[in-house]
Amino acid sequence: MAISEKVTRVSTNLPDLAAQSVAQTKTLSHTLLPDQPLIKIRVSKGWSPVELREIWTHRELLYYLVWRDIKVRYKQTVLGASWIILQPLLMTLVFAIFLGKIAQVPSQGVPHVLFLFSGVLPWTFFSNAISGSSFSLVINAPLITRVYFPRSMVPLAATLVRLSDFIVAAAVLVMLMFYYRQPFNWTILIAPFLIAQMTILAMGLGMWFSALNAKYRDISTALPVLLQLWMFTSPIVYPESMVPERWQWVYELNPMVGIIEGFRSSLLGLEFNWRGLLISLLVTSVLVVYSTYAFKRLDEEFADVV
Amino acid sequence: MKPIVSVRNLSKRYHVGRQRNNNPTLRDAFVEAISSPLANLRSKRHGSEVELWALKDISFDVTPGEVVGIIGRNGAGKSTLLKILARIVKPSTGEVDIYGRVGSLLGVGSGFHPDLTGRENVFLNGTILGMKSPEIKHKFDEIVAFAEVDQFLDTPVKHYSSGMYLRLAFAIAAHLEPEVLLLDEVLAVGDNPFQEKCIKKMKSVSRDGRTVFFVSHNLTHIEEMCTRVFFINSGHLHEENDVGTTVTRYLKDISTLGERTANASG
Repeated sequence: MAISEKVTRVSTNLPDLAAQSVAQTKTLSHTLLPDQPLIKIRVSKGWSPVELREIWTHRELLYYLVWRDIKVRYKQTVLGASWIILQPLLMTLVFAIFLGKIAQVPSQGVPHVLFLFSGVLPWTFFSNAISGSSFSLVINAPLITRVYFPRSMVPLAATLVRLSDFIVAAAVLVMLMFYYRQPFNWTILIAPFLIAQMTILAMGLGMWFSALNAKYRDISTALPVLLQLWMFTSPIVYPESMVPERWQWVYELNPMVGIIEGFRSSLLGLEFNWRGLLISLLVTSVLVVYSTYAFKRLDEEFADVV
Repeated sequence: MKPIVSVRNLSKRYHVGRQRNNNPTLRDAFVEAISSPLANLRSKRHGSEVELWALKDISFDVTPGEVVGIIGRNGAGKSTLLKILARIVKPSTGEVDIYGRVGSLLGVGSGFHPDLTGRENVFLNGTILGMKSPEIKHKFDEIVAFAEVDQFLDTPVKHYSSGMYLRLAFAIAAHLEPEVLLLDEVLAVGDNPFQEKCIKKMKSVSRDGRTVFFVSHNLTHIEEMCTRVFFINSGHLHEENDVGTTVTRYLKDISTLGERTANASG
């Protein structure tokens, strides 16, 4: 069933040919044709990895897809781009009132708003990235069924759009840290690595879900529930220490546990949970590799099913 | 002369009539997998699914500079052929080798975003079709002049008329300068002067040694432009010695079909 097409680009021929076609437009005689085909369309079976080289050659398109989505997203809203900041801020406010004030959930000795925001902020990015990319292939169906480019760029672009939101909203976190006079220390340098890990995880899962969603529209209904469940099984609004200690390793199989706790520790100077980070890294690697292969497998039939 | 596009034994099979490829649900997939784990394999081997061969065992070579018209009735497989050449749809069997870059215009303005302006869409669509941004900048004025939309460059394209939309889309694709250009029924929306302009442009494209594949129901356009014609009839490709004979064969096929249906209904 796995019918796939191997597309080999003889990249060395490409610039030459492009240059020639610009330089001379009179006759393209057969002598100018490359010996090897630029494009080979073949039927092949089995699993194949994501075409990283091809993504690299199309990087400009990735940039334009991200640019398009950013440009278009807030076109018909009143508050426009300020939603990027408002969404995590309002969520934090709700949780601070209900969980901090009413339910009295502990916050590891740091101001409650800071504790919550340092979890809600990366989670907002992650969850928006996953839901955004899951819908991306279906939304871009008119494009996918009419023009060729590496399909994986569509969910990747959706994740990058949310990453740009995250970077903007992170400024609020920094302001809050100043406001609560939270000391900055060197551990903050670890945060970018965790953001990178989270981005890669979101890209991988986003690719997989987007492909599944193209085939089984159930995903779009199930996803909000799944993300809600995932959020409450991650230490966003409560610290990991609330989980019984002997179950913590099971809890840490959720890769977001290590990432969120690590992110919070790096910013707020709390103790790091190295075991959690390691487990998270392993689970992330497995999920991302699986997701990208699963994407490629489903990729074979997109244009037939979208 | 060495071919620029070489197609060997190309077929495309679609599965129809069964849930599986018709927006199935996860539940169906689960139920199917659990209730009959081997049924999937078995059905594949014995081919119990309803199969539709959109293309069956097609082979041809096309050399640089040829303008290939593709004719046939609705659903004959014309668009499927172009989609395989454009790498949008994967073939079921066979091989294709293309010795050049491929540009395609298979649906008008499919790379356009309605909320973006004409100017922004030129860059977006150009990039989608495989141009680099210096190349687009270089050609920008030419594209706009060809499309005749200069007054509306900063208007979102959702306010464009369908003719303007088409003109801009065609202008971008035509200025792409790929070695192989695929066009699917793109001129249907344009008015006569613009159609003439497009035909002139395509002729000049082929004079430059580029190859054009052109699907159309307008036989006048086909006979005016094309150096070769493929007649596709329920997935099979027919080509006679010259353009006129192939077109005549197609016309004869339509008329006999008309008689058949007339007889059947009468």
